[in-house]
Amino acid sequence: MKKFGVSIIFLSIALIIGCGGGSATEEISDVGDQEIRLTDAIPENPVVEPAAEGVFRRIWSDPPTLDPALVSDTTSMGIVAEVFSGLVTLNTDLRLEPDLAESWEISSDGTTYTFKIRENATFHNGKQVTATDFKWSLERAANPQTVSPVAETYLNDIVGVMDVIEGRTSEISGIKVIDDLTLQITIDAPKAYFLAKLTYPTAFVVDRENVESGGQTWTDEINGTGPFKLKEYKIGERIVLERFDNSNENDGGVSLIVMNLAGGQSMAMYENNEIDITGVGLFDLERVLDPNEPLNRELVIAPPDFSISYIGFNTQMAPFDDLKFRQALNHAIDKKLIAEEVLSNLVTPAYGILPPGFPGYNEQLEGLRYDSELAKQLLSESKYSDGDTRPRIVVTVPGRGGSVGLDMEVILEMWRQVLGVEVEIQQVEWATYLEDLNKNKFQAFAGLGWEADYPDPQDFLDILFHSDSKLNHGQYSNGQVDLILENARINPDPIDRIKLYQNAEQLIVTDAAWVPLWFEGERHVLIKPYVKGYRLTPMTVPKLSQVKIEK
Amino acid sequence: MWIYIVRRLVWIPILLLFVSLVTFALGRFGPGDPVVVMLGNRYDESTAERLRDELGLNRSFVVQYGDYMWGFFKGDFGESLRFRGRPVRDLILPKMWVSAQLGFAALIISVGIGLPLGFFIATRQGSWIDPTSVALSLFIMSIPVMVIAPALLWVGCLKLSWFPCSGWGGFFDSRLVIPAIVMGVPGIAGMTRIMRASTLDVLGQDFIRTARAKGLSEWKVNSVHVFQNAMIPIVTILAFSCAGLIGGAFITETILGIPGIGRFAVDAIFDRDYPVIMAITLIGSIAFVIANLIADISYAFIDPRIRLN
Repeated sequence: MKKFGVSIIFLSIALIIGCGGGSATEEISDVGDQEIRLTDAIPENPVVEPAAEGVFRRIWSDPPTLDPALVSDTTSMGIVAEVFSGLVTLNTDLRLEPDLAESWEISSDGTTYTFKIRENATFHNGKQVTATDFKWSLERAANPQTVSPVAETYLNDIVGVMDVIEGRTSEISGIKVIDDLTLQITIDAPKAYFLAKLTYPTAFVVDRENVESGGQTWTDEINGTGPFKLKEYKIGERIVLERFDNSNENDGGVSLIVMNLAGGQSMAMYENNEIDITGVGLFDLERVLDPNEPLNRELVIAPPDFSISYIGFNTQMAPFDDLKFRQALNHAIDKKLIAEEVLSNLVTPAYGILPPGFPGYNEQLEGLRYDSELAKQLLSESKYSDGDTRPRIVVTVPGRGGSVGLDMEVILEMWRQVLGVEVEIQQVEWATYLEDLNKNKFQAFAGLGWEADYPDPQDFLDILFHSDSKLNHGQYSNGQVDLILENARINPDPIDRIKLYQNAEQLIVTDAAWVPLWFEGERHVLIKPYVKGYRLTPMTVPKLSQVKIEK
Repeated sequence: MWIYIVRRLVWIPILLLFVSLVTFALGRFGPGDPVVVMLGNRYDESTAERLRDELGLNRSFVVQYGDYMWGFFKGDFGESLRFRGRPVRDLILPKMWVSAQLGFAALIISVGIGLPLGFFIATRQGSWIDPTSVALSLFIMSIPVMVIAPALLWVGCLKLSWFPCSGWGGFFDSRLVIPAIVMGVPGIAGMTRIMRASTLDVLGQDFIRTARAKGLSEWKVNSVHVFQNAMIPIVTILAFSCAGLIGGAFITETILGIPGIGRFAVDAIFDRDYPVIMAITLIGSIAFVIANLIADISYAFIDPRIRLN
């Protein structure tokens, strides 16, 4: 899904739960236009709600956007997925489920999907959701005027979408309204992951009237279809979601979600009953893990996010254009030692690309494990064995001027000690970093992660390593890998597809396109005992409607 | 004196022009670009161009600058780039107001305790009180916010349950207490030291000896002659402290969950939200210029030797 500063990830373990992938890109938003007078600054309702009946309180951050077409980060997703909805969704077990569509048929050649929309599917104002609404919403998302950064990623399989994205027409030829409640979507090839892509907000339905009458700040007054309504949003202060009673998921659960946006010490706030859920940071971990500590009974182990952090090499730039040199650097790092001694086992060493538990994860994958002798041998066989003639090596990381991360410091030291390779580190702040990254200007870069958007290996391997992918910032290019990835896109057999991806992953790992560093480890979360039904998931999916407050 | 004030006021637009030009140019010609931050990982040149067009970032520097400043003088600070479609004024004024109240509460603590303490210590020079207080105030001054804030939270919120751990409820709300102490206490030390130095300076002057010699009571000497004269340098500091109130306090606001301008401004800088950065810088500059002016004028009242002509 998106890159995130890894140091920020570690911070967010301490500060925010479920708000993963926070980054400096996080705070763009579309919000209200209501009159703010100076006196409004003193909220009539205090920012901290008392622990009332049916209220679930948590810390969150200002969402970069609340417009489903523009969402590309988990902070926005956490709200948008509750307020809006689409044809299909992922449940808390990450299985694909019908949402506004009650059923669908796939043509025998696998390219035409005919969705039947539920008769009782309505917007919050009671208006029926129709196939025309979906057609308009998807065309709006693809329209260049909408400037969606993700329309191409999520919708490009639909026939005719690129014509809209590139401004040649405003209607998507592959979307047909059969009748009020029947929508037909044609895609360019039988792609198994197409339905999974539709679970992302880009494909959600919005109310045309709502969007057209609201101007740039239409998300102030959202007429959505999700289980919650946006009741209040004060930038930098709080977001309140209210249960939408006509929702089909109405089961008498939580009635209000109060999200505190002003920050604070989440652990102290949790202990003082100001919020109902918090992540446990490194400093509180020991105390919370102690069975004699009352808080220990509220401790929940959350599954890791599907994410990986890595060091990227620009394979077109010296010295990373040499395979053996890249492999040598990989073999010289003792990740197990770093994970245990430096990062307190909050992470799992990564030898492949796909995270454990993710579709396609391969336990048998042969990673480039720590082997100092092999590393030295590879270095001596490489073009850059001579330190005097080797080009200067700089790894660039994003940051706000703090430390560059303990793991990076140790890795640099391991390279120096095992191989005698001197590597410099350069920290630049996020905006500058992104600008240079997009231009593929870095020789090597770190401090980045990749997080899954939908549970399909295509989301990692194709997007990050195909020669033509815009997100392949290391300019890695292997014709064989490209071919496998292209075949995997359209292979109809789920098991064969997975095998293709595993082959591609093995090739990429052996080619040492990256140094895969860490998969996120299990997270430690405290949840108040009266909160029932809050599922901790490795991806952001709608789940708040299942929460119950029992006191 | 009026001529003096008018002359100073005339300088404000010129100064603002200079400050705004520098800030604007730093943003536009420095590295980084708001569109790149917005698109993050999804950057592609054509989307970025469309977005730049939409936000008016493709116009020439002079046009953008002129457009912004024309709006600013009419009271329109433009629209935020991060919170699209939102007027900057609506975003920052409420947050400045929160920070100003918090800063004012902190200032009351610093001044209310620091000034009398500094004066008291200075009049006890030579006894053990003086060096002890100086050492103590140095010690307090050097405790960073990152230490004092969690410590106060632990005691005041978790152990004693006197105050909530986070949030903001206005000037007369119990949530003000911890942040005000966090921000005010280091100020006590500073204020004490300045007041002590200033008082000592005055105590050594000839006119104090004259006052004593003409038989004035110690109380009268201290209150009229010493205190009033010792206040002169303090006024400048106070005026600037007041101007600084609207700047907010990034760390305190972040740790204690206060929706103030400090955190907002820092985020705006990292996200290259030019209109927000401009507005905060310019309002800050105006506040400093006015504070400076007020300080100068008040000299005329406190110190009869100064005449503003």
